[in-house]
Amino acid sequence: MLKGHLDMIVLAALAAGPAHGYAVIEEIKRRSSGAFELPEGTIYPVLHRLEHAGLLAGRWTTADSGRRRRVYELTKRGKRELGERRAVWEQFSEAIAGLFKGSRSWQSPT
Amino acid sequence: MAEPHLIAEYVDRLASKLAFDPVLSQRVRREAEDHLWEDVSADPAGGGPEAERRAVEKFGDPDGMAAQFAVVSLARQARGVGVATIVGIAAVFVAMKARLTWYVVTEYATGQSGKLGEVVVTIDRYAFWLSVLVAIVGWLYIGACRVPTALTSQYRRQLRRFALLCLAGAGALIGSVISDGVLTSLRLGGTRGSLDVVIPVGSMVIEIVCAAGLVRSIRGMAQRATATGRVARPG
Repeated sequence: MLKGHLDMIVLAALAAGPAHGYAVIEEIKRRSSGAFELPEGTIYPVLHRLEHAGLLAGRWTTADSGRRRRVYELTKRGKRELGERRAVWEQFSEAIAGLFKGSRSWQSPT
Repeated sequence: MAEPHLIAEYVDRLASKLAFDPVLSQRVRREAEDHLWEDVSADPAGGGPEAERRAVEKFGDPDGMAAQFAVVSLARQARGVGVATIVGIAAVFVAMKARLTWYVVTEYATGQSGKLGEVVVTIDRYAFWLSVLVAIVGWLYIGACRVPTALTSQYRRQLRRFALLCLAGAGALIGSVISDGVLTSLRLGGTRGSLDVVIPVGSMVIEIVCAAGLVRSIRGMAQRATATGRVARPG
């Protein structure tokens, strides 16, 4: 299930501002209170795919350590896409919550 | 005994899995290296081979990652060919217009083309505009295709359709360039060693180079798609 929503999760993690891959994965862990545990490298194909789709923009910077680092940020299209996905998710989540709220034990038809 | 450099070995392995796309391979190597060293420096144990081992373990299986990158690489190649097709056609158009303008400016005497010339002009016109139409459709089509996380059969089909559109566009463009060649030779027929032929012949050379470059880029895409397809796991 997590795999199917990885794009939305990454977009949401980058909503706070530009970040590199490691920071994105740390942000996902922090915001999900560690619920989303996935192989950390998985994030990179997603970042590349979202960049290819024009939802993210990437640029190379130099970290304090002197290593080259690619920083990603949401593009206008990415922000719009995140907004749309959030709306769909909230609608879906409300509908499911409604279903659970309305559940009651069945009475046997005696 | 020397300590094993786990991170270096790991990024080498990952980069070699992506050898089908050298630019991507280099980029992923840098990103993975930065990530892994960042993880090691954040390790509570404070670095060392154990921290490297943990970082590599958390990063995941390079084969699985290469398979996902392969799909993105294919999508990028396809889009590149789409752009190359449009640029190639535009270059042919500019060369063609330059030649015609040259004829007007220099009031170049035309050779006897007659009925054959008229037929070739018609073929040229239709072939060229067909190539423009097909290239635009192909470019829009590949741009609208959503890149999946794995190489699904649907995405394979979409790539195949795009390749066919590119081939059709290239075929029409080659038809147009051949027609231009026939028209140019009809027009220059009988001219011997005049400097006035430099521009028409030069523009024809540009057209031929563009058409050949386009065929080469489509062929390159097909070859790389085969190599990439071997790495990408079917979804």
